[in-house]
Amino acid sequence: MIRIAAIGDIHVGEDNRGQFRPRLAKLGEQADVLLLAGDLTQHGTPGEGRLIADEFKDLPVPVVAVLGNHDYHSDAQGEITAMLSDAGVTVLECSSTVLTCSGAGTLGVAGSKGFGGGFAGKAATAFGEPEIKAFVTHTQRIAAQLQEQLTGLEADYRVALTHYSPVKDTLAGEPPEIYPFLGSYLLAEAVDSTCTDLAVHGHAHAGTEKGATPGGVRVRNVALPVLGRAYAVYCLDHEASPEAAKACEMPA
Amino acid sequence: MSREAPHYTAARIQRRIAEDDRVAELGIHVDVRGNEVFLHGQVGTEERRRLIGVVASEGEPGLHFHNEINVVEVRDPTGEEQLA
Repeated sequence: MIRIAAIGDIHVGEDNRGQFRPRLAKLGEQADVLLLAGDLTQHGTPGEGRLIADEFKDLPVPVVAVLGNHDYHSDAQGEITAMLSDAGVTVLECSSTVLTCSGAGTLGVAGSKGFGGGFAGKAATAFGEPEIKAFVTHTQRIAAQLQEQLTGLEADYRVALTHYSPVKDTLAGEPPEIYPFLGSYLLAEAVDSTCTDLAVHGHAHAGTEKGATPGGVRVRNVALPVLGRAYAVYCLDHEASPEAAKACEMPA
Repeated sequence: MSREAPHYTAARIQRRIAEDDRVAELGIHVDVRGNEVFLHGQVGTEERRRLIGVVASEGEPGLHFHNEINVVEVRDPTGEEQLA
């Protein structure tokens, strides 16, 4: 069994610096890995990047992160990524990593910020002006790369980590009018085609924690305002449901 | 000139809350009822809640603001969910 702690949307700034770290005191007892689902900063400045690097350095478990739209706001996403990397955090953007969890097997995490576009039947399409084509093709490219990364994972368990949501389920509570800015079904399509065990995202502060993709993969919205706690812990165990593990075979 | 429709007043205030770099909060709901403006949503700190109230009311004479934004309380993590 692998225990995955996850949180997103902590929005660290000068006014709440150092306040999250004490909540991680029992992380090593409760989880094998910590996933961060983006919006780690409020304004995406290098100064805030230093603050979040301090929050998550030297933890007893591996930390894997994606950035969110707030982390891109000041065009310092590269610097923030470097600061987190220097602090030992693995930052994913259309990339993946495999972790070995002692006695529990290997965990593959494919991660990306993701993007918007909406959900099947009510989604934007790459048609018309170049601006709308740029918006839609950005999501299409990210989803294709997420699928490629998930497919390539050689691991016992696969998790998709994004900031934007792959499904509508976990947006319940948000105004439906803004769903196209909260996620895209293309991310779910990538998850459903790759034997993924769990999809974790943030971004939707007024949303709902629990949902599933159209293909039945569990989705969890771990935005801090949704969870109301420092992190959630999700346990994956193929031994407890070997039928489910066997049922999923990716096409060659 | 006739008075501005509440729809546009709410949209302008909401846009300012999102785009002003002092706050940069995207999830705040602005509801305009006559001269009364209600701010709803959740933020991470008391200071952010206060600043949103300041930014929202700037340049809006004649409106009475009600800052009903909540500060998220972060509890210690508890329990785990089995996803077998």
